[in-house]
Amino acid sequence: MTTLVVLVPVLPLLGALAPLTPLRARGLGLVLAAGGLGGFACAVAAAVHVAGHGTFETGSGFIYVDSLSSFFMLTVALVVVLASVGSIAYLRHEEQHDGLNLLQLRLYAAGFALFGGLMLASLETGNLGLLWVLIEASTLASAVLVGLEGKASSLEAAWKYIIVSSFGVTMALVATLFLYYASSPLALSPNQRLTWPALFLHAGALQHDSLRLAFLLGVIGYGTKVGLAPMHTWLPDAHSEAPSPASAMLSAALLNTGMYAIVRFQAVATPELGRYTNHVLLVFGFASIAIGALFMVRRGNFKRLFAYSSVEHMGIISVALGFGGVLGVYGALLHTLNHAIGKSVLFLTSGEVVQRWRTRDAGRVAGVLTRAPLVGGILLLGSLAILGSPPFGLFLSEFTIVRAGFRGSSWLAFLLLALLVLAFVGFARTTADMATGEPAPVDANAERQSVVAALPLVAGLAALLLLGVWIPGGLNSLIMHSIGAIT
Amino acid sequence: MSLPLAAESLSAASTSGALLDLSAVVMLLAAFACLGSKLFDRYVAYYALQSIVLSFAAGVVAFALHQPDLWALAVLTFLIKGVAIPFATRRFLLDRLELHRDVAISTGLSTSLIIGAFLTAFAYLAIRPHTLPHALVASAVVPLSTAIILLGGLTMVVRRHTIAQLIGWLILENGVFLGAITLTATFPFIVEAGIFLDLVAAVLIMITFVSGLAHRLATATAPELRELRH
Repeated sequence: MTTLVVLVPVLPLLGALAPLTPLRARGLGLVLAAGGLGGFACAVAAAVHVAGHGTFETGSGFIYVDSLSSFFMLTVALVVVLASVGSIAYLRHEEQHDGLNLLQLRLYAAGFALFGGLMLASLETGNLGLLWVLIEASTLASAVLVGLEGKASSLEAAWKYIIVSSFGVTMALVATLFLYYASSPLALSPNQRLTWPALFLHAGALQHDSLRLAFLLGVIGYGTKVGLAPMHTWLPDAHSEAPSPASAMLSAALLNTGMYAIVRFQAVATPELGRYTNHVLLVFGFASIAIGALFMVRRGNFKRLFAYSSVEHMGIISVALGFGGVLGVYGALLHTLNHAIGKSVLFLTSGEVVQRWRTRDAGRVAGVLTRAPLVGGILLLGSLAILGSPPFGLFLSEFTIVRAGFRGSSWLAFLLLALLVLAFVGFARTTADMATGEPAPVDANAERQSVVAALPLVAGLAALLLLGVWIPGGLNSLIMHSIGAIT
Repeated sequence: MSLPLAAESLSAASTSGALLDLSAVVMLLAAFACLGSKLFDRYVAYYALQSIVLSFAAGVVAFALHQPDLWALAVLTFLIKGVAIPFATRRFLLDRLELHRDVAISTGLSTSLIIGAFLTAFAYLAIRPHTLPHALVASAVVPLSTAIILLGGLTMVVRRHTIAQLIGWLILENGVFLGAITLTATFPFIVEAGIFLDLVAAVLIMITFVSGLAHRLATATAPELRELRH
């Protein structure tokens, strides 16, 4: 099992060595995809093992995999697979059209591999200090991807990304320090005082005031990574400037990693602080949904539109955690998975559109359905899916969350529904206009649909459809066990 | 509230406690000096001073509590934050891009100093009364370090120039470490955290350098940044 757990992050990380070889775009992409697939296979095997034998812990808590970690690992590993297969097509396209030089291609491969591997590693540790270090390291790796294209705007986005999220991560460090201080009444060794299972076991005995500060700062700090409003300001810039497979990773994997840290903090804080944790998450969650929905009404850069949709969905997950109870947490976890798949599909689709139209402005894109039927179809269906229409998975998870809301105070649930409708209108208006209408005259080197590029799109959409009509028994029990691990 | 273990924090009465207290005051003054200055050169100088005092403070705690981790932190802080970052900022950013006077300030100097004073008072009110036992030097230093964190954040808010924001963030980070060594001297990840945040600073300096963003922003500021927002 130790080997398996170590392989989950290490296989994707191996891709960081590929730039040292003379491989070019195609080879680099294949190495990334192979690493991603290997990591995903190991993550599945680890989840099966955890389901059968219970929580796995070794190295005095430095390696710690329970149901919650394996659920998030599966989600992130799946996104890495989709994005790395998308990278094959992206890298080849950039090489053929001289979009990136060889150094940039290599930087992309190294950054991508490090980013994916470090995120997976951060989900496997029970030590909150190590968690902080790994999340910070993955931020640095992903900044390479954001600034990759080297234009003034992408460097500026990278700068903003690093400074804002480092500010957040510094707050998360202070949160970790206060959590450590809150555990000073416990008779534990320094490392145990940062180890999640030990903290969770003694959660009721933590110092109240320090714990409250720790939780609040933790939500602000890791919430900056998650993109909770008002700490979301880096997110639209970074998502729109990064190459599309990297945007998919940022939106569907990085945000979830941050959310994972918040879930852990909430679980530690709840026994002592009670409903306070729920209220904090509700406030940040509703703020994010409102900001996301309002900015989506605006037409413009479609990658920014998708980014604001991520803010909205992270808000929904936060609200679900705020509603709490088995139903709320179930909805939150299911929604995490669904959103991860859906947003990967949409960002990869946006990459296809950018390659064909050479613009990120939604107003200048029309008739995707006519010119590239597959991309257009997936753009439309993917939009419907991400907006929570049946029969896709997000409908089911949002429905669960709204139901959890009605168990508490129904006006909050109504507010949530109203914001979801607003988001629907804003989002669908833009993407529907992009997909339909008269296409602009085809330019000379119009491309044919490549099979590799279509693969993650179709697979992701199929998975969403499947999750909308049927939740596999294994997944269901994994989520139920995750809820058991944090309550 | 039960008193933390002896290995956790210094008592206020000891010599080491007094030295730590003094260092914290000097660091706060450096943060204020930075907030009240308009010359890039000065920002860097005050930051270097603050970092060297921080490394001294880390050394004091390491000596008093026999923490080998903190010795490492003291040396690293001195070498990287006290020497390397100021040197790199001067050499690669200020000299190359010919930056002297910071004109991209959204709030007047005196106004920002007054806000800074309010933030310092707030830090005392927010932290002092209930979280910390009075016998420890932490009850004096943690509010100071909170004030330094807030002042660093304020610098990032009122200054629009990338380098000033960078310095603001570095000051904030110094405040975090001052609090960390005072309150939780046994925190196991202190050195790793220091190294990773230094890496962030290095990357930020690199980006600013590579993009020449600094040069562009020295002459024209906020309206150009709005470009990204559409």
